[in-house]
Amino acid sequence: MDIILALWYRNIKIFARNRVQLVFTIIMPFFFLYVFSSIFKNDSIENPVNYMLAGIVITTVFQTSLTIATSTIEDIVSGFMKEVLVSPVKRIQIAAGQLLSAATIATLQGIIILIIGYFIGLKFTSWITPFAVIGVMIVVGLVFSGLGLFLAALVKNSQTFQIVVTAITMPMTFLCGAYIPLSMLPKTLQYVAYLNPMTYTTAFFRTIILEKTSLTTNQMVAEQLAFKIGGFVITPLISMTIVIIFGLVFLLLSTYVFSKVDFSRINRSKSKEADIFS
Amino acid sequence: MRNIIEVKDFVKKYDKFTAVDNVSFDVEEGSIFAFLGPNGAGKSTTINTLCTIFDKTSGTLTIDGKDVSRERDAVRGVIGVVFQEPTLDNKMTVMENLIMHCHFYAIPKSEVVERIQFVLELVELLDWKKAMVSSLSGGMKRRVEIARSLLHYPKVLFLDEPTTGLDPQTRAHMWDYIVKLQKEKNITIFLTTHYMDEAEICSKVAIMDGGKIVAMDTPYRLKQQYTKDKANITTSDEQGLTLLLDAAGFIYKKKTGYYSIEVDSIPKLMEILSEQKDSITDLEIKKGTLNDVFLAITGKDIRK
Repeated sequence: MDIILALWYRNIKIFARNRVQLVFTIIMPFFFLYVFSSIFKNDSIENPVNYMLAGIVITTVFQTSLTIATSTIEDIVSGFMKEVLVSPVKRIQIAAGQLLSAATIATLQGIIILIIGYFIGLKFTSWITPFAVIGVMIVVGLVFSGLGLFLAALVKNSQTFQIVVTAITMPMTFLCGAYIPLSMLPKTLQYVAYLNPMTYTTAFFRTIILEKTSLTTNQMVAEQLAFKIGGFVITPLISMTIVIIFGLVFLLLSTYVFSKVDFSRINRSKSKEADIFS
Repeated sequence: MRNIIEVKDFVKKYDKFTAVDNVSFDVEEGSIFAFLGPNGAGKSTTINTLCTIFDKTSGTLTIDGKDVSRERDAVRGVIGVVFQEPTLDNKMTVMENLIMHCHFYAIPKSEVVERIQFVLELVELLDWKKAMVSSLSGGMKRRVEIARSLLHYPKVLFLDEPTTGLDPQTRAHMWDYIVKLQKEKNITIFLTTHYMDEAEICSKVAIMDGGKIVAMDTPYRLKQQYTKDKANITTSDEQGLTLLLDAAGFIYKKKTGYYSIEVDSIPKLMEILSEQKDSITDLEIKKGTLNDVFLAITGKDIRK
């Protein structure tokens, strides 16, 4: 536990020290809010700014947790993880430290955007909502840091890695209904969006944060909080289950792969590479 | 003195390539043991296997009586490692790096401050404890790594090419620390190097080439066994010297301005010197170096 906490503290510290990154990750969402909120005005959404804001909060949590977790790769490349390798530390402790810190930072960012959102017009009527919102952000943070750590543990070449991360985050961000309503997407892309776990994350999070849990199924489908695929309706509750299952799978996978991965593998010579696969 | 490291019939294969081929050696507690050899000789493979990073193909390797493959965690607790490439956390300060290490090795909270003070003093970096690692010079980073590797009071310290890439002055300093550690703390030091002069300081040297240990002894005995002293003589009576050398059966080379003679026996050389005492203007006797040892054993020059 001590090691997990120490690593958690380290990562938070590193993030806090990087002021540029901090400012940038707060400004960007509002830039997107400004650009995209007009799109929702034409749609059947009651309060487009709040609707959009909800999407932005959750995509920020998603992107931050993924990015922070994948930054583990920097620690592997810099050699820091090799220190861990010859110490009596268990790999699972390292994985836990990385996952928890990524989820924490992501949640903190989500909260910052929420606070700014409050001044733009996001209001809660129930006192339970803010707690539920934070709870969901922590879960979502953990889910996607799991995916991030999994990617970091799989990487073979640190140079192409950044491209891979972008190639994954971009479609997941833009094909989930957070910035662009799914109804405005071409049919094919809509089906792609149904395969995107972020689609369900966004729908589920919006239902909670906009306090729409009491809507009828038809109203939910109209507001894109639920999806009708064929004859089957995916309610926010099913969405939540999907996200949690996805998260559990990747949390387990990432910890497993991370425990097995050879940190000395990257940037090493041929002969040592051979050692990895033997 | 007991053996702290024992290696028997160690083999390491990568697919079909044999990196280390049936190597056996022991290291006495409290000594400085060096692996000497060109790149690709199998030094790093051996050190990485001893540090529990690689798995052996066959053989037995123990550190402090613990099996390197079976009791990894126990072994990890008694060793300190400084790798060839930097493994510091660049985003943190020197102090934070050291504190993190204390967490990794479960060092009691009450001792952390004291131990950090001690290791930083040892490598003369106390004034830099608040500096970001990324702002330090290469030599300082190495010193931080050495300091860090000592925090948990290891019994064996592994140094994989500790001075590669450092300037001569820092290299000399580095060696002061290493020798100080060995003397004062009785830490066993196991290092690899391809600098011959560094190997001279060690208690025992194993020369590796092509995955095998080709010779192993104290530097002094290695030189005694494998090299001959060389005498460089400048004389005004070159004809006379040539005659004397030929008569005594010396192997020599005539170079510009001097004779380079391989000395088999000192008394025979003394005879020649005394006969030539009026014409010799310059005399230099050179001891063989470990490089000569390496050359004699492998037929290769390590520096190439």
